Amino acid sequence: MAMQPAARAVTVWKIYGSGEAQVQALRGVSADFERGKYTAIMGPSGSGKSTLMHCLAGLDTVNAGEVFIGDTQVTGLGDAGLTKLRRDKVGFIFQQFNLLPTLTAEENIKLPLAIAGRAPDKAWYDTVIQTVGLGDRLHHRPAELSGGQQQRVACARALVSRPEVIFADEPTGNLDSKSGNDVLNFLRDSVRHHGQTIVMVTHDPNAASYADRVVFLADGEIVDELHSPTADGVLDRMKKLDRRGDADA
Amino acid sequence: MLKAMLRGLFAHKLRLILSALAIVLGTAFMSAAFVSGDTISRGFTDLFSTVNENIDVQVTGKSDVPVNPAGGEGLVTALVPQSIVDKLKTVDGAQTVTPQVVSDGARVIDKNGKAIATTGAPRLGGAWVDGDPAVEIREGNPPRAADEVAITANLAKTGEFKVGDTIEVITLQPRQKFKVSGIAGYAGGRDSLGGETFVFFTLPVAQELMLGTPGMYSNVDIKAASGVSDGELKRRVETAIGTTEYKTLTGQETADAQASGIQSFLNVFKIALSVFGILGLITGAFLIFNTFSMLIAQRTRELALYRSFGASRNQVLNSVLLESILLGLVASLIGLGLGVLLGWAMTKLLASSGLPSGSVVLKPAVAIGTLLVGTLITVLAALIPALRASRVAPIEAMRDAARPDKPLRTMTIAGLITLAVGIVLLILRGTKAVDNNVITLGLGSFLIFIGAVMLAPALTRPITGAIGKLVDWAMPGRLGVRNTGRNPRRTALTAAALMIGVTLATGAAVFASSVKAGVTDLFRSDLNADLVIAADFASGPTAGFDPAIINQVKAIPGVTSATAIQSDAVRLNGKDGFASALDVEPSKTLFGLKAKSGDIRDLNAGEVILNDAFATETGLKPGDSTTLVTARGGESPLKVVGILQPNQLVGSPVVSFADAQGFRVPVAQQGYVKVADPSQVDAVRAQMKTLVADNPEVTVTDPSEQLKQSTSFLDLLLNVLNVLLGLTVLVAVLGVINTLLLSVFERTRELGLLRAVGMSRSKMGWMVATESVLISLLGALLGLIVGTGLGIALVKIFGGDFLKLTIPWGFLITALIGAVIAGLVAALLPAIRAARLNVLQAISYE
Ligand SMILES: Nc1ncnc2c1ncn2[C@@H]1O[C@H](COP(=O)(O)OP(=O)(O)OP(=O)(O)O)[C@@H](O)[C@H]1O
Ligand SMILES: [Mg+2]
Repeated sequence: MAMQPAARAVTVWKIYGSGEAQVQALRGVSADFERGKYTAIMGPSGSGKSTLMHCLAGLDTVNAGEVFIGDTQVTGLGDAGLTKLRRDKVGFIFQQFNLLPTLTAEENIKLPLAIAGRAPDKAWYDTVIQTVGLGDRLHHRPAELSGGQQQRVACARALVSRPEVIFADEPTGNLDSKSGNDVLNFLRDSVRHHGQTIVMVTHDPNAASYADRVVFLADGEIVDELHSPTADGVLDRMKKLDRRGDADA
Repeated sequence: MLKAMLRGLFAHKLRLILSALAIVLGTAFMSAAFVSGDTISRGFTDLFSTVNENIDVQVTGKSDVPVNPAGGEGLVTALVPQSIVDKLKTVDGAQTVTPQVVSDGARVIDKNGKAIATTGAPRLGGAWVDGDPAVEIREGNPPRAADEVAITANLAKTGEFKVGDTIEVITLQPRQKFKVSGIAGYAGGRDSLGGETFVFFTLPVAQELMLGTPGMYSNVDIKAASGVSDGELKRRVETAIGTTEYKTLTGQETADAQASGIQSFLNVFKIALSVFGILGLITGAFLIFNTFSMLIAQRTRELALYRSFGASRNQVLNSVLLESILLGLVASLIGLGLGVLLGWAMTKLLASSGLPSGSVVLKPAVAIGTLLVGTLITVLAALIPALRASRVAPIEAMRDAARPDKPLRTMTIAGLITLAVGIVLLILRGTKAVDNNVITLGLGSFLIFIGAVMLAPALTRPITGAIGKLVDWAMPGRLGVRNTGRNPRRTALTAAALMIGVTLATGAAVFASSVKAGVTDLFRSDLNADLVIAADFASGPTAGFDPAIINQVKAIPGVTSATAIQSDAVRLNGKDGFASALDVEPSKTLFGLKAKSGDIRDLNAGEVILNDAFATETGLKPGDSTTLVTARGGESPLKVVGILQPNQLVGSPVVSFADAQGFRVPVAQQGYVKVADPSQVDAVRAQMKTLVADNPEVTVTDPSEQLKQSTSFLDLLLNVLNVLLGLTVLVAVLGVINTLLLSVFERTRELGLLRAVGMSRSKMGWMVATESVLISLLGALLGLIVGTGLGIALVKIFGGDFLKLTIPWGFLITALIGAVIAGLVAALLPAIRAARLNVLQAISYE
């Protein structure tokens, strides 16, 4: 038996609104996200990247199709099930506002464990902290950290509970290239060295080049994919996609 | 421009509704107090005009002796003799002269052996007068024989009496049996005029039982011949009988005089109740202050944008003030409407217990006053936020909305100074350096409260942090604790609203428990009695027992000392006050009476023993002569035989039982009995009970039980106070809800994040509940501390033997538990909001 993917979408349809104002954000998207792999999702603005990610993570419902995280079928779960899924099997990194301002960096990192009432695995926790490289800033509040540091804390938080898969929506969107690269390195290392699965939405070909695979989305459909991408290769494909969009118009 | 700004206001409906609700509650309470008071007052005015409709001039006796402050205005002791009636008949212009006998204190015994009570209205007894147009016999006949009575229909209904039944009536005499000859009612089909009961006797019986003197009348009603005005007739009557011994009033004057007593009581009632309405409004002011501060903080960018478009500071200020005026006015209007409704309901409720009522009275002054107070408090509360709004610089449109909280240092220092000034004022009063109670007690307490409110923000983090340790172990708890400390000003202001009610209730509780403890101690240490006979507190001033019963008590085996105490208001040495008759010899044992000078011994008629304070004040010494004026006995000479050492139980001059026959009622209110051996107490009690078995208004108890009964009114008072303060607590809870809703709204993004990382709905709820409970606990705690402090200060300042500082721990603990419950209740709606949050919307919310 082939290894089960960490996350899987099967002909997922997502439709917003109705009648004239209807938007088909996802049109029968099927995709597997391999365990221990770093996948980037790219595509023009409005192509449905965030929507796909939200549907995969159980943050949003789908109109048709099925979604799995590991062996759990996400579609059809109730609020309690989804909560448990997010708590135990999924990690999130958003573009901004990732941290609770009242908690210190360390507390933020431990937040998912604290919510679940689990003690951190000491060795793993130390490894994560090591990699975040915050040092003595661990006991500071988010307001006292730089944007890059905040995003690294968010990454550490996503990692600490060893979720089945981490979803990141433009995690470097608000960062300068130096801090952005720090975060991207951090994410890639967690995949390479610790077998973490990561799905990352990005606009940035450079960011996508850190991934093992890039999936291209346009108008709610998967139109292309690229393995072991380079920044130039990604840029190339994107240009093609844009041209396709222009031709459509 | 203004329109655009106002739209901003109405965008926050829920919070606006909460603020408005606070004003609505306060103004409704206030106006309801006035509306019901005015309506009842009008009812009484109408009632008394009806009663006196057929009277042009009324003559009554004039009494020298003050009315017993314990009650009994309706008990007539200054009487009109037949000779005056005869004289009145000769007055030119007096067409009909009707002598009457009416007095309070005819208690009918019901089928369970209890005296039928009214809700405060008199239980009248008097002579049946044929041809009185106001009264009619509905069933049976008027009383014609000495053993017959007619009773009013309300009495017949409550007692389930029929014509022909035998009833028993207590009057100035012990209970006597009568046959019900008829049931009477009033013109217009009314069973009673204003909840009072009436027993009609034949004239001689009424004179004997109700006035205590044969051949006398309580009043004489005169109808003028046509062409003679009431005023003219009054003048003629006054010339005929003089004005020294008899009071002559026109019908209108009588009605006014009768109504004025009730009016002044109702005024106290109206003002007292509306004070609580205003307290509710002040509590609401905190909520409004918070709401406007929040709205303005949220709208900083918007306001800055207006400023950058060229709106002036004043325009911004005015627009916010206009918002507050609108809010205050609309809310006060609704409150007034609700108040009128509430007042109407209240009078209907009271009317069902017999109080007169009529259509609802809403005086223009009440309407205007309510609107004015409600609006003014709203505007005042919004003033500081409005000023802050007007100071928003145009540049802030470009800045990030999140601004750091201003440091609390200035506020804290100002608070400490205010607190210190308040404490100094109380100390000045305590050391009697300044005697003005308004400045010292009033202003001092107020400043202490305000100082505490100003210190509250600085105390928020330490206090909530300390309490929060209890819930810190769980994530929702920990987050709730941290959230409470995020905006100390807002948290503290929200809590301060709760402080108002809690402070007042606590201060009162400390004072009351100290009074109780003081009185109890006095009784315990000074009273050397095993059994007590006492007239029930609720039975009115006419209740009691024949003092001669004590002689039979003394004969019971085992009884070593016993005395009755018969007290009344008198004028002694020209001074109005109380006097008591008691057996002095046994009282030496029972109450520890000791001579300071002269003889302390059993008294004969015409002798008096003075208490120390009275002697000091008047300068009277043993051997001196003075005079005593009693209600029935008139003036008589007295000789001072002795002066008592200060005694806590006997604090008034002591006269003989012979002289006490001039008192209003021929009964003793209390009796104290000492038994030789504790083992005999039960047997003695049983025999005493049989002695007073036929008197339903008297009970045999022991001193501790009696103490409990006599201090129970304090508990009642406290309960009433607490219920009324409940209004402020309700408003404060609205404030907590308001603050939490805002917090949930402001932290949407964070809440979404928590949900995204796996926090369950119920845990979200608990997080909000933690914050809510902490806010209420903070308010309650500060209120308890300040209230206890003020209570202690009052006890220390007033000192005296009847006060013994006692902290009501039970109350304090109950209040804290109450605060937790209030916090949980307040958290309900915001918690549901937080739990129901759509995760996706929350995290994509910018
Ligand atoms: N809540 C919503 N209601 C209606 N339409 C929506 C909603 N959310 C997204 N859409 C629409 O669905 C489509 C896909 O949106 P999505 O946010 O997934 O795009 P995206 O690829 O993430 O774009 P971007 O790169 O700009 O973030 C867009 O056309 C968008 O307008
Ligand atoms: Mg997106």
